[in-house]
Amino acid sequence: MTDNLKRILLEACVLIAFGALFGLTINNQLVLDAFAGRLIPQRPVGDMQEEPQEKVPLAYPMPILLDEVQQLMTEGGLLVDARSAELFEAAHIEGAISLPLVDLDDHMADFTRRIHKDQVIVTYCSGFGCPDSFDLGMRLIETGYSDVRVFEGGYPEWRDAGLAVAGEGQ
Amino acid sequence: MSRVEWLFYHLCRLILALVFVYAGAVKIQDVVAFAGHVAAYQILPYAMNYLVAATLPYVEFLAGVLLLLNIRVRPALVAIGGMTLVFMVALVSVLLRGLDIDCGCFDPAGGEDVSAGIALLRDVGLMVLVGLTWVLRSRLTTRSAKCETRVEEGLKAR
Repeated sequence: MTDNLKRILLEACVLIAFGALFGLTINNQLVLDAFAGRLIPQRPVGDMQEEPQEKVPLAYPMPILLDEVQQLMTEGGLLVDARSAELFEAAHIEGAISLPLVDLDDHMADFTRRIHKDQVIVTYCSGFGCPDSFDLGMRLIETGYSDVRVFEGGYPEWRDAGLAVAGEGQ
Repeated sequence: MSRVEWLFYHLCRLILALVFVYAGAVKIQDVVAFAGHVAAYQILPYAMNYLVAATLPYVEFLAGVLLLLNIRVRPALVAIGGMTLVFMVALVSVLLRGLDIDCGCFDPAGGEDVSAGIALLRDVGLMVLVGLTWVLRSRLTTRSAKCETRVEEGLKAR
């Protein structure tokens, strides 16, 4: 390898290291929260004094993995299916209850009456790329639920892992 | 190097620069949303998605700025080529696993979804641009070095 090529590679490494370090410096709290497993507070966008009508959520629902979902279920966590009622009836994770995001306004009052605000809730939908579980989690946090998490792998990951499912199609 | 080659070099350089400055800048605007896109690839553990989202856009932006300013061009090309290669491997893995996700290549907070196949084709185009810019830059540098040698030899002869 020529000295010139070595120098270019070294400078490329410095460039990458500098960019990464700069990013870490700016986003250090976000990364620390992610590694510590804490809820990640959303940074307010703009001056709230000037835009009082803009609604800023207190927190994001925490994404969790399959083994964490199983652990939470044994500790009394509640799985909430954000998909449509038809999909829920066809097949869902055993023990989950349905709260379709598309009909949320019709079902939310009944849900809040039945489920205490301190209940640990895990929302899910049709896997990665499906935003409904995250959106439902946001709505539940806005409603006052204090511990809401999202199982991003959703029904497909649960089913593919060979875990218990229920529904008419099973 | 002919004038056409000189113009072509700057065209390739500027296209790459603008693509990466834009890609980095829009992701920096919403790091959390970009972390969600990285998570959708299902390659990294949960927290690592945030680490990548917190650092990668800044490297993209910095490499783009260096290309735009026409300084440290070849190190910037190595960084851009390396990142694009990693993106391509990730996209191929998405295609092989049959995941239907948005590539998250640019604006993570909005815009139209771009499939992994389209993103892969775009990355191939970017790699071609990286290669062209590298070759043309090398020719430009070689020519400058030759000119300097001739000037030095001329000065010595006097």
